[in-house]
Amino acid sequence: MAKLVSLHNSIHQELRISPEKAEYHGAELNMVPVMLSEFLKLAVQFPIALTKNKETGKFACVAMLGFAEKENLFWQHSKLDTLYTPLHIFRQPFFLGRNDAEGHSVTDSDQQYVVCFDAESNSVVSEGGELLFTSAGEETPYLQKMKAVLAELLDGETRTHTFVETLLELGLLTSMQLDITFANGESQRVNGMYTIDEKKLNALSGDTVVRLHNEGYLAHIYAMVTSTGQIYSLIQKKNARLSAAALNV
Amino acid sequence: MEKPVRSIVIVGGGTAGWITAGRIAAEHQHDSAQAVQVTLVESPTIGIIGVGEGTWPTMRNTLMKLGVSETDFFRECNASFKQGAKFAKWVNGADDDFYYHPLMLPQGFQKGDLSSAWQREGSAQSFSEAVCYQEAVCEHGLSPKLITTPEFASLANYAYHLDAGKFAAFLQKHCTTKLGVKHVLADVTRVVAAESGDIAAVEVERAESNGSDQIAGDLFVDCTGFSSLLLGKHFEVPFVDRSDVLFIDRAIAVQVPYADDDSPIASHTISTGQEAGWIWDIGLSNRRGVGYVYSSRHTTETEAESTLRNYVGDEFSELSPRKIPITSGHRELFWKNNCVAVGLSAGFLEPLEASALVLVELSAEMIAEQLPACRSVMDITAKRFNETFLYRWDRIVDFLKLHYILSEREEPFWVDNRKPESIPDSLQALMSLWKFRAPGDHDFTSNNEVFPAASYQYVLYGMGFKTNMNWRSASDAERMFAQEQFALNERAVRQALDTLPSNRELISKIKQYGFAAI
Repeated sequence: MAKLVSLHNSIHQELRISPEKAEYHGAELNMVPVMLSEFLKLAVQFPIALTKNKETGKFACVAMLGFAEKENLFWQHSKLDTLYTPLHIFRQPFFLGRNDAEGHSVTDSDQQYVVCFDAESNSVVSEGGELLFTSAGEETPYLQKMKAVLAELLDGETRTHTFVETLLELGLLTSMQLDITFANGESQRVNGMYTIDEKKLNALSGDTVVRLHNEGYLAHIYAMVTSTGQIYSLIQKKNARLSAAALNV
Repeated sequence: MEKPVRSIVIVGGGTAGWITAGRIAAEHQHDSAQAVQVTLVESPTIGIIGVGEGTWPTMRNTLMKLGVSETDFFRECNASFKQGAKFAKWVNGADDDFYYHPLMLPQGFQKGDLSSAWQREGSAQSFSEAVCYQEAVCEHGLSPKLITTPEFASLANYAYHLDAGKFAAFLQKHCTTKLGVKHVLADVTRVVAAESGDIAAVEVERAESNGSDQIAGDLFVDCTGFSSLLLGKHFEVPFVDRSDVLFIDRAIAVQVPYADDDSPIASHTISTGQEAGWIWDIGLSNRRGVGYVYSSRHTTETEAESTLRNYVGDEFSELSPRKIPITSGHRELFWKNNCVAVGLSAGFLEPLEASALVLVELSAEMIAEQLPACRSVMDITAKRFNETFLYRWDRIVDFLKLHYILSEREEPFWVDNRKPESIPDSLQALMSLWKFRAPGDHDFTSNNEVFPAASYQYVLYGMGFKTNMNWRSASDAERMFAQEQFALNERAVRQALDTLPSNRELISKIKQYGFAAI
């Protein structure tokens, strides 16, 4: 379980974080939430799809990393073997918390966020890694970079949400039925994933296409369509893993 | 071609009026050149009865056809899920006396029948528990789906409990803003007959103006409730009294608030047998609807009120009970000339098994889908409609009566209910057959059945009926099949209990987040 602690330059001056070990947070993820701003970078390696939040039923964009629960096919030799690491993994072990600890009511206009970190994370190390503060209590370039990532996630969440709302409004989503048989004959059904309905996309009126273009969504929609082909490279990874496992028996 | 049926006038704005208006308008709105205009005339002074807080799963299809969102429906009609009915104290009145009529077929019903195997093995479980996982879902207060399940889709089959007054208002808004139904607030003062005997128009006094005017139409739908203004009063179509079979003639109802915002919401209708009738208990999202329906020949109003008080508890004294007379029965015809009755104007039976709204839905569906193109073919449609619905009323009367005739309760109400002269011949014939064979699809061969054979099984075996199967022995294949199905049911119970959230939790989430359309 994560234990979030808000960051303070005097208390955490000695704190060291290992960025390599932070990747462990992604070791058992079969999908990871992604932001609109990442789509073009993700599409070259991952299928980008949508899934519903189990608690709210709301759609979220995700990159698929595996098929079975806890299966991350990109996790090789204790590290992520990816060209691009999704921000939600890269940001580990940092989070943004709402600063209403003093009991003040926080309105949207003066909403303050504080940077927190997961004190239970394996990436908290006693030597090596990166310091967060200088001896003078200034933020290190590493922390500055991570804060920029958190800011991008915060902003990206709203933008991605609006994007999804637009897809829903236009009826552009369809559920993905994946029945996969792997090289060893083992088969698996993947439920609960959604993608762009290409028929509906192709039938959009000119006006709607222009609107999507002006909002900057068109490229992202096509990136999603193209990225579904990456399911085949995921299957390939799984087959490679299965045959390696068979050899080791 | 002679004059087409273009203008449809619906008189009455309860759930019957709005469901019918909506179904016709939704079915015929697309082709603008041939468009049918639906006008609904509603009295600003006469309130609605608001029958039927319980529905059938058919309501999901009705809502989809109307084109409303299930999320809006939940939010605006205080709706909740209904997964069947629990009948308590119908057999002998003991505290552990109950059975379920769930909304799902017995496990493997399409492939084979489990009722004889269940009797043979002398299972410790009740029939509904052994063959359908939905009983466990209801007993645990769970919902039939997840927040991630798309709207109108289900994991376990479901219907709704709803606030009928709110539902009528919800449908009114949808029909007038989305489906082009004209809404006229006016009292109908006179029916204007044409020379042919058809209704030419209704004369109305509008709320906003002093004078009266006429609303002409090609087809009139009578949704005027018990007063049956067009079919009953104008056409004088006789009423067929069924109180010789179904004795209940009074209802006394209260709205009971929940103790707090986290109180569980039952996901089934609870129907509890009483001295001279039974009490319904329906959980909406914001309150319970509880009422005692009884036979005035077998108890007094004062006794009935105290029976209801005992059921509800101390808070009863703070509630205002509403008394509603009930006449069990229906019109001899439902469609006469160019007038068809839908809802209470066509008839009413006691609310057991929630037959009121489903008959409205079935009527609206048939009118919408088989709308006569012109007057000359209307009589053919009318004849079909009458045959179909007379059959359906008869089947419903039989099925409701079935609930009473197997009871062992000794109060006069229950004893009288078992007297052969009160049991329709059609039901007696079925009961004779079922002494030696379980209810099956061969017993219900019409295209217009209302209750499937499975429903009869649930009630029959729930009430403790024994079918004597000794005259034929079961094959090994039959035994294997039954064992497989019982095991599958046990697995389904475990899976459901692991996955489904509580009814209250899901309803709160619908209000907060809503369902997605896909």
